[in-house]
Amino acid sequence: MLDHILSILIFFPALAAMFGFVIHKDSIRAYGIAVSAIEFVLALWLWFGFDSAVSGMQFMEFIPLIPSFGINYILGVDGISLFIIILAAFFTMIGIASLTDTKNVKNMIITLLFLQMTMVGVFVALDAIVFYIFWELSLVPMLYIIGAWGGPLRIYASVKFFLYTFAGSLVMLVGMLFMAYFYYQATIDPMTGVGVWSFAILDWYRLILPENFQLWLFAAFFIGFAIKVPMFPFHTWLPYAHGQAPTIGSVILAAILLKMGTYAFIRFSLPLFPDASVYFMFPIAIIAIVMIIYTAMVAYAQEDIKQVVAYSSISHMGVIILGTFALNVEGITGSIFLMIAHGVVSGALFLLVGVIYDRRHTKMMSEFGGLASVMPRYAAIFGLMLMASVGLPLTINFVGEFLSLLGFYQQSHMITLIAGTAIIVGAIYMLTAYKKMFFGEVTNEKNKNLPDVNKRELVALIPLSIITIWLGIYPKPILEPINNSVESVVQLMHDKAITDEAKSRIPNLIKEVEEVDISITSVEGAH
Amino acid sequence: MEIGLNHYLVLSTILFAIGLIGVMRRKNLLLLFFATEILLNSVNIAFAAISHYYGDLTGQMFAFFVIAIAASEVAVGLGLLIVWHKRHGNIDLETMTSMRG
Amino acid sequence: MEMFLYIALFAPLVGSLFATLFAASPKTLIAGVVPSLLLFISFIASSILLAYVLQTGGAIHVEMMTWMATGDLYIPFGFVVDQVSVTMMMVVTLVSTVVHVYSIGYMDHDKGFNRFFAWLSAFVFSMMILVMSDNFAGLFIGWEGVGLCSWGLIGFWYHKESATWAANEAFIMNRIADLGMLIGIFLVYWNTGTLQYDQAFAVMPSLDTEILTWMGIFLFIGAMGKSAQFPLHTWLADAMEGPTPVSALIHAATMVTAGVYLVVRANPLYDLIPDVGLFIASLGAFVAMFAASMALVNRDMKRIIAYSTLSQLGYMFVAAGLGAYWVALFHLMAHAFFKALLFLGAGNVMHAMHDELDPFKMGGLSKVMKGTFVMMTLASVALAGLFPLAGFFSKDLILEVGFVQHHYIIYSVLLFTAGLTAFYSFRLVALIFHGEERYKLFGIHPHEAYKFMLVAMSPLLLLAIVAGAMKMTYFEMVTALLPATEYHVHSEITYWIMTIGTQLFVIAAIAFAYKKYAFSKVSVPDGSSDMEKSFIYKLLYNQYYIPHFYENYFVKPYREMSHAFWKEMDILLVDATVDGIAKFIYNTGENTRDMQSGNLSTMLKWMVAGTVALLSLAVVFALAVRYLGV
Repeated sequence: MLDHILSILIFFPALAAMFGFVIHKDSIRAYGIAVSAIEFVLALWLWFGFDSAVSGMQFMEFIPLIPSFGINYILGVDGISLFIIILAAFFTMIGIASLTDTKNVKNMIITLLFLQMTMVGVFVALDAIVFYIFWELSLVPMLYIIGAWGGPLRIYASVKFFLYTFAGSLVMLVGMLFMAYFYYQATIDPMTGVGVWSFAILDWYRLILPENFQLWLFAAFFIGFAIKVPMFPFHTWLPYAHGQAPTIGSVILAAILLKMGTYAFIRFSLPLFPDASVYFMFPIAIIAIVMIIYTAMVAYAQEDIKQVVAYSSISHMGVIILGTFALNVEGITGSIFLMIAHGVVSGALFLLVGVIYDRRHTKMMSEFGGLASVMPRYAAIFGLMLMASVGLPLTINFVGEFLSLLGFYQQSHMITLIAGTAIIVGAIYMLTAYKKMFFGEVTNEKNKNLPDVNKRELVALIPLSIITIWLGIYPKPILEPINNSVESVVQLMHDKAITDEAKSRIPNLIKEVEEVDISITSVEGAH
Repeated sequence: MEIGLNHYLVLSTILFAIGLIGVMRRKNLLLLFFATEILLNSVNIAFAAISHYYGDLTGQMFAFFVIAIAASEVAVGLGLLIVWHKRHGNIDLETMTSMRG
Repeated sequence: MEMFLYIALFAPLVGSLFATLFAASPKTLIAGVVPSLLLFISFIASSILLAYVLQTGGAIHVEMMTWMATGDLYIPFGFVVDQVSVTMMMVVTLVSTVVHVYSIGYMDHDKGFNRFFAWLSAFVFSMMILVMSDNFAGLFIGWEGVGLCSWGLIGFWYHKESATWAANEAFIMNRIADLGMLIGIFLVYWNTGTLQYDQAFAVMPSLDTEILTWMGIFLFIGAMGKSAQFPLHTWLADAMEGPTPVSALIHAATMVTAGVYLVVRANPLYDLIPDVGLFIASLGAFVAMFAASMALVNRDMKRIIAYSTLSQLGYMFVAAGLGAYWVALFHLMAHAFFKALLFLGAGNVMHAMHDELDPFKMGGLSKVMKGTFVMMTLASVALAGLFPLAGFFSKDLILEVGFVQHHYIIYSVLLFTAGLTAFYSFRLVALIFHGEERYKLFGIHPHEAYKFMLVAMSPLLLLAIVAGAMKMTYFEMVTALLPATEYHVHSEITYWIMTIGTQLFVIAAIAFAYKKYAFSKVSVPDGSSDMEKSFIYKLLYNQYYIPHFYENYFVKPYREMSHAFWKEMDILLVDATVDGIAKFIYNTGENTRDMQSGNLSTMLKWMVAGTVALLSLAVVFALAVRYLGV
């Protein structure tokens, strides 16, 4: 069964969702929890079956779809994608378990299960077309979740979310087609004059493109990824989407969907275009700085607690981007770790905002104040997540932030110094928001008798709290597999780099790691 | 003076222009059909003439296809026209704007 | 021995977790007693470790587990007990045990009794990590941990606006410095390839001086935040919003000295860059006088002591900056004892006076609070540096260091500050304990604190008196690790003149304070006296207008800029551009929908127009290809 575990991980939730249509609506909740729990167990099983010492792809599957055009169903998982898959399964599970919307629960759960299929699909696909299909499909359930269960501006927000990200992906698709065409050109056999079409990412890894091609292709992919991340100035869809989405939508969006962009940078942009990555390193680092400081300041000005968390997400994504473009093992490992960390923490923060929204049906901070005495447990968990978000050592976020910044420090001292203000500006908006909500006297009559967090909410929040601290103290189980895969990516980049600048900026690890053959020699050899 | 290919093509073009103007100007559905027929037949003339010129029968075969399709089109079109006239009492194009975007 | 190390380290954590269990329930005595007991155990374990280090002269080094490992980076949870860290451990565990026991009495009537002990023990745990770690990353864990606990404890009474504001200020200001610290750590890592103290320091002598200088500067920026050095000093005085035991433990004895500890710990680095050392010393001397001057006129009992702490931290940095690391550490230790004592005494007075902080509204309390009176007086004597109390040995030594190294400006500044210190300390004592009983006007009936609180304070009293006697033992111990420079004034006569002169100067200052505040009539200032109208008084009373400056030139612009970024940039520029593009496309569709009139005749015309346009394009292109060869 482990041979096909990735396909099972993708399609089990989808099949279960189909079956969900015939389930009675009173028992759909239990059904949803059961399905997502099974999926989570499967994801854990994947982890146990995963060999941390191997840096390349594992559990690969291969089914030809349109072989004449090189479009095939290729799946595989490595240290980079493994934990994001587990995170996706985990968040779908606790998301369904803590669901509080009572309107059309059945549709919601079915949508979530479909969404899970697309999320897992994106992270395991090793064929660009399959990747693209899942990438675009993931928009549909989210569009429905925001549009059907959202706030008053939900139609505007969902359409904006859809069209904006969709427009970016189309540019990316053009890039992918050109990449395949280039592969065809490169593999033309001089005897027959016929080349090989391939959309397999691992095939593409073996291509060394001329620098000017790299620049254009990098830009095409960048548009698609940057909108998804979202990077400044393409970020404005996010506050609307978060502002209007129901709690569960925000949680999944922040925890998993945003990570698709940063993951794709590491899966596509870095190994495919090492020279372009070096070429664009500083412009992107400057964008990252703008993201970090500017959005942190915007977050400080917000009046709505959910918007504070939404903008804080963008700020943290800036640190992730910076770590990614450090182009060394420390930085990239840190950025992947921070993706997971940010998923856990921002997901938890959105859940926490949902808790208070369920009670008061408002998210304006001015409506609150003094909640620490009314809801002490809630305040404590919120405080923990706040400190994790601020990046306090021994919480999960610190490991990622520390490594990302440490990594980039090798490339530029000045930029890291400026980007490091993340730890200051982050503290400013978070502490201010916390003070507004939890400290002071209880001035609003409506807040006097709010119930503290209940069992259903604790089911979601306690595991997240434990993960936040556990991985902060002992990140090794996750860091090690990530590190191994990242080392092979960095080595590949170094080997492929053609310009001198790129050769010197991307470290050569050949002393430390054995030669790892990460490219499959032929697609047929994979299965 | 012998009548050659050019003369047929000029005739075809003139007929096509008449048909085109008819298509643009006529407000009566029946007359629109007439104009369409003129357009089709102008093309038929060109087909037949060029076919003869090259000694290739394909063009003339196409002309027959066009005639057959034109006939069926008119048959269906006139049927619809009669139904429309029964319902609305006129066949003026200006009144048929239910497909406005 | 490793077992004792772990006991010393983790007993406070267990205590904190234990108290956390009761955090949401009303006051439970056990939630205070158990953490105190555990801290006492930690203190015993530290003492055993001290005995071990004294006996063998060696260090205990353990590596608990890996924390982070990626690429070449390897950071373990490693702990080291050597001469320096064991000194700090003794100070931390001793003072915190005292403060814990004292707090059982002090927080007696507080609703947050259990929560208080959870935070306080968590603080001790963080502080132990800070001093025991064997690498910079571990130090940073403790560094941020104490910052977090300080935030929680300053804002302990969270319903008070001023307390939560001060808590956030302290946290954010420390974060600014922590960024410097982080950059310093990055520098260490990328230049030495490791964050372990011993390995990193071993590589440093071979590095470029410029890199070492930057390293030293950035690490010191971190130290400046925690130790509240100018210009990051404003948070310390505001931190007095927290409960008084917190001020005694965190903002006098332990956390604020972390910066000094860092410089002492990094002595192999600072030895290589004497220029940075001199800067540290100069800044220290400046802060010593600057803070003392603000303490002269302040009318808040706790703030006066806070400024005094700031001033003494300046002394420590002078010693550390001039390379006299063991002197700095010695003063750190002595200061922890008498300053904690002073704060706890102030806590007793506050309780007696129902949280009144203005010493001008007290007076004559020596009659009702004999125990507290004796303790605070002796602590002040120690602070002023009179023979034979602790301050005499540690503070005078710093003066001698300045003198011996020919930094006469620093020496004179410190000497002058010693006079100021004596004056403001005894101004406080005189105002509180002597003179008329002004509190009667306010209808307060003061009472002495619980007996056991006074008993708890007595170890500190004892140490404040006798710490000086331990100087030689201490010297022999720490110089196994720190440079063993002895600071002797060469000429015997100069030495005696200096010592006696300093003593006389200090005594004169004390006498002046008594004359002005104990033996003449004192009234509650109402802003009418000539002195209060003078420029100097206003300048000092408003803390040189620095908080005012920060508020107007940093906080307010930041707030306004944030708002502008949101409302004007994000909404009006970035988002409006995106929406503009969408609107343009939408409007194009809206405008061209008229074509789709539904009128067959019109649509046929459009069709013809389209055909003509396409045909002409085809013709143009064909011609272009034929004649221009494009």
